[in-house]
Amino acid sequence: QNILTVCFSVGYSAVALNHVIDFKEKKQEIIKPVSPSELFPSLPIVQGTSKRIKVLTRLTLIVSDPSHCNLLRSTSANIRLYDIIAVFPKTEKLFHIACTTLDVDLVCINVTEKLPFYFRRPPVNMAIDRGIYFELLYTPAIKDSTMRRYTISNAISLMQICKGKNIVISSAAERPLELRGPYDVANLGLLFGLSEGEAKAAVSTNCRATMLHGETRKSACGVVYTVKKPRKVEEEETVPACKKAKTQA
Amino acid sequence: AAAFERRVLRRAAEHHYLRVRLELSDGGARPNAAQFKQLVVTALRELHGEVGAALPVDVLTYEEKTLSAILRVISSGLVKLWSALTLLGFYQNRRCAFRVLQTSPFLLALSGNSRELVL
Repeated sequence: QNILTVCFSVGYSAVALNHVIDFKEKKQEIIKPVSPSELFPSLPIVQGTSKRIKVLTRLTLIVSDPSHCNLLRSTSANIRLYDIIAVFPKTEKLFHIACTTLDVDLVCINVTEKLPFYFRRPPVNMAIDRGIYFELLYTPAIKDSTMRRYTISNAISLMQICKGKNIVISSAAERPLELRGPYDVANLGLLFGLSEGEAKAAVSTNCRATMLHGETRKSACGVVYTVKKPRKVEEEETVPACKKAKTQA
Repeated sequence: AAAFERRVLRRAAEHHYLRVRLELSDGGARPNAAQFKQLVVTALRELHGEVGAALPVDVLTYEEKTLSAILRVISSGLVKLWSALTLLGFYQNRRCAFRVLQTSPFLLALSGNSRELVL
């Protein structure tokens, strides 16, 4: 709760609380997320606007085995209670599966150890097309200097493949003093090799897009849209053929 | 018709000014001005090495009560200094955090803070 108070004072307009589920341990069940209204009876207002700060819930799945992904397709009711779902792949195959077929919003990139696999362009491009964002954490960089090196090296290798698109930088803060303000984090994006506009988007626009992606994932199962067909100017002879086509269709 | 001339100066300011505040967990000694400067240089050295530590940084004002200071740095070194302050985690084995309150290429702009307006 202290962390959230600090978040609000530093100037964030939406915060997501993370629950991590690790599949190596046995008997993992997905617990219901803590409802934000229990923590704060009334959320303070974002500075400068008249809207309230949003507190969302988020689930991170650490997958090291393809069978763990079945959980995402299961009809467990608790998964639907989370606003954002993130997956943390440990092998190259799982990274490929997560980018191409899994129904998640974020793919976490490991910053605490050397990546066991190299990024390849095809799955990364498919993820960008699908609207999945890659997430980098910055709190390990505050704690330890070896982690700093891994964070920066993994981030740079990711940038080379994805050219700075679809990046979200987030903190995994466990204490209020591990949190940093939004402009500070955008500056860290410059260190990772993003351009200035991309770095600011990594903290603001891309995060909002992730929230919306999570909302659409929760609500929409299919989309119906109508397209206006361009009316072609036809000759007299082709009119009956056209009418025939209409009756057939 | 009045003729006017428009001049655009890019990167005309030499220095950038930062107003920062150091947040420490309660209890324990507070750094004085020299120790504060030492802390800033240590942060630069940890992240950017000897070249970073050699960056010309000046502490213009320092208040020990609120642990807030105004720093001046060459404009080309702003990103290095800011990232070094962001990633600093420990001061004498105590957790700390640097909060950058304002930054501007003009010192006068640091005097007014629109975020502290009570509307």
